[in-house]
Amino acid sequence: MGKIRVEGLKKSYGANQVLKGIDMQVQQGEVVCVIGPSGSGKSTFLRCINRLEDITEGRVIVDDQDLNDPKTDINKARENIGMVFQHFNLFPHFSVLKNIMFAPMELGKMNAKEARDTAMKLLTRVGLADKADAFPSQLSGGQKQRVAIARALAMNPDVMLFDEPTSALDPEMVGEVLGVMKDLAREGMTMMIVTHEMGFAREVADRVIFMDGGYIIEDGTPEEVFGSPKNERTISFLQKVL
Amino acid sequence: MKLSKVSLFTIALLLLMVTGLSGFAGGAAAEPGTGKTYVIGTDITFAPFEFQDVNGKYVGIDMDLMDAIAKDQNFKYEIKPLGFNAAVQALESNQVDGVIAGMSITDERKQKFDFSEPYFESGVVMAVGKNNDTVKSYDDLKGKKVAVKTGTEGYTFAQSIASKYGFTIVPFDDSSQMYEDVKTGNSVACFEDYPVLAYVAKQSNDLKIVTKKEAGASYGFAVGKGKNKELLEKFNTGLTNLRASGEYDRIKEKYLAEDAAGAATQSRSELILGSIQPLLIGLGKTLLYTIVSLFFAFILGLIFGFMKVGQNRFLRGVATVFVDLFRGIPLIVLALFIYFGIPQALGFTMPLFLAAILTLSLNAGAYVTEIIRGGIESIDRGQMEAARSLGLPYRKAMIKIVIPQAIRVMVPAFINQLVITLKDTSILSAIGLVELTQSGKIIIARTYESFTIWAEVAIMYLIVITILTKLSGYLEGRVRRG
Repeated sequence: MGKIRVEGLKKSYGANQVLKGIDMQVQQGEVVCVIGPSGSGKSTFLRCINRLEDITEGRVIVDDQDLNDPKTDINKARENIGMVFQHFNLFPHFSVLKNIMFAPMELGKMNAKEARDTAMKLLTRVGLADKADAFPSQLSGGQKQRVAIARALAMNPDVMLFDEPTSALDPEMVGEVLGVMKDLAREGMTMMIVTHEMGFAREVADRVIFMDGGYIIEDGTPEEVFGSPKNERTISFLQKVL
Repeated sequence: MKLSKVSLFTIALLLLMVTGLSGFAGGAAAEPGTGKTYVIGTDITFAPFEFQDVNGKYVGIDMDLMDAIAKDQNFKYEIKPLGFNAAVQALESNQVDGVIAGMSITDERKQKFDFSEPYFESGVVMAVGKNNDTVKSYDDLKGKKVAVKTGTEGYTFAQSIASKYGFTIVPFDDSSQMYEDVKTGNSVACFEDYPVLAYVAKQSNDLKIVTKKEAGASYGFAVGKGKNKELLEKFNTGLTNLRASGEYDRIKEKYLAEDAAGAATQSRSELILGSIQPLLIGLGKTLLYTIVSLFFAFILGLIFGFMKVGQNRFLRGVATVFVDLFRGIPLIVLALFIYFGIPQALGFTMPLFLAAILTLSLNAGAYVTEIIRGGIESIDRGQMEAARSLGLPYRKAMIKIVIPQAIRVMVPAFINQLVITLKDTSILSAIGLVELTQSGKIIIARTYESFTIWAEVAIMYLIVITILTKLSGYLEGRVRRG
């Protein structure tokens, strides 16, 4: 059974159907990169996996929990699904340390000492231990995104979702963020990444999914999708970005 | 810890309200006697019938007469100086039991009120500025402006002859404003009952009477139609007794004789010194009403503000209606509606402080709702999403992540609202609330010193608002630094 199972997922905003029926699975420890032109629905798709977007039709099952089932405690389910945003969304009124400690403490997962130790460990891991007392406004974009990853990891999730994590960064900062993500992948984290970094996708992903017009058009290993794409739309997209 | 601070603040406010309320019952003290205390509405500026003396006590023919009759008939009463128009409306809406305010007995008024026996024969005269030698009769008014006070016989008379003599009417709510308008030359003349103008002409030496008394109505004490029969009977019996005993003539003499006691003429420094205390009391009321109203406005704003940003469509609609309604009605209309309109329609008495607090709270509440909505919506959606993605419930995310950031955005707008509400309390003088502005009006009604008193009032507002703004600016800085 897959760690993430998506069955017949449809999503509409009023009359505008963004996702038109998506079926896929992600296995435990698998790293899946989602690529595709803008407006293809890939971000919406990712945001359905922790139900930041309401699901119009179909099912999203994470760790055997149907997210659209009214009996499911969506807050509990989300504790297990970390998310990293394009624009970091750090809490500007908290220090870096507090950003990371906040959720585990607030949700009763850890006491103050455990939360502090965890946060410091995670900061060391993303190379920002010396910024613990800084505020988000004092950090560079790359540093902010690394803190955001640490913040998501503090809840000790089984699954991590990345929504274009490097799109808002200056080019010289992309590397440091991708480096942290590579480490995570190597450690066996189940990850779904919406990205425009084709080099990263090719290097790190176990599978690459190409989306267009609200459908999954192509789904395969990086070699298959990048090396010998079958669909015309994939070919034309890859020609533009590679 | 934080919670106890909030509850402490609430208790302090409630205490403030209770202690404040004891001071709300305005005017003269009740007389000894038994049974019910009658609430009598009157004008604030109608010398020699009612006006404040230097000590802030209401005196005048009406006041002395009421006092003497109450003693004679052994009943208790309380004077509410509301202003003439407000007093008449208050009687219509049963907010007061009776009105004694140099009120002419007319057929129109008899439709709504029951009048006592006439206690004073009056008649309208015209007065002009002291140095005006061109206007001597109604014929000289062609193309000119004439000041009158709304709701008076002078107004009705001026209206009846306006087209015949070709002059324009400039209406005022307040006698002293009417006199000022003539003194400054905006209007060439004013129409008012003879004893009133005679008294003013003598006191201020700025006006002179140029016409003979029109055959006029006489003054009566009024109660609501078919209501307070026993009060009316007591008044009539008392009046008869006073006339028989000669007390009535003594009271009249006291104010109308050539050497009558009036407001003593004061030097400017005496005037300022003497007016500071009543103005400070008015200022205290202004602050009290501002603080209490803003407290409730804040609660309303929190409730409706969160309804507006929430996900429930129905609640959002309710909040929108609330804001549109109370932001769309001018404060003065809201005040008149709440204080006079609603009680008249539903037949109950609404205390003045309640009407005032309600008016200010609802009005400011609508604005605070918008401040809170705007503040919350100004926070990037990503903040809520990031918090929710970590597993935080909506409420927790709102309280811990969104609101603390929104407050920083809201603080300047709150300070603004504080200043606006503080100034808006002055509008409530229209329903007779004796706050800073009304206190100023009352002193001017006695002294006719517009410049000095309005300058004092303006400076008081300025000082208080400057202090509050500086204090809030300091707080804002602290909030910003986190």
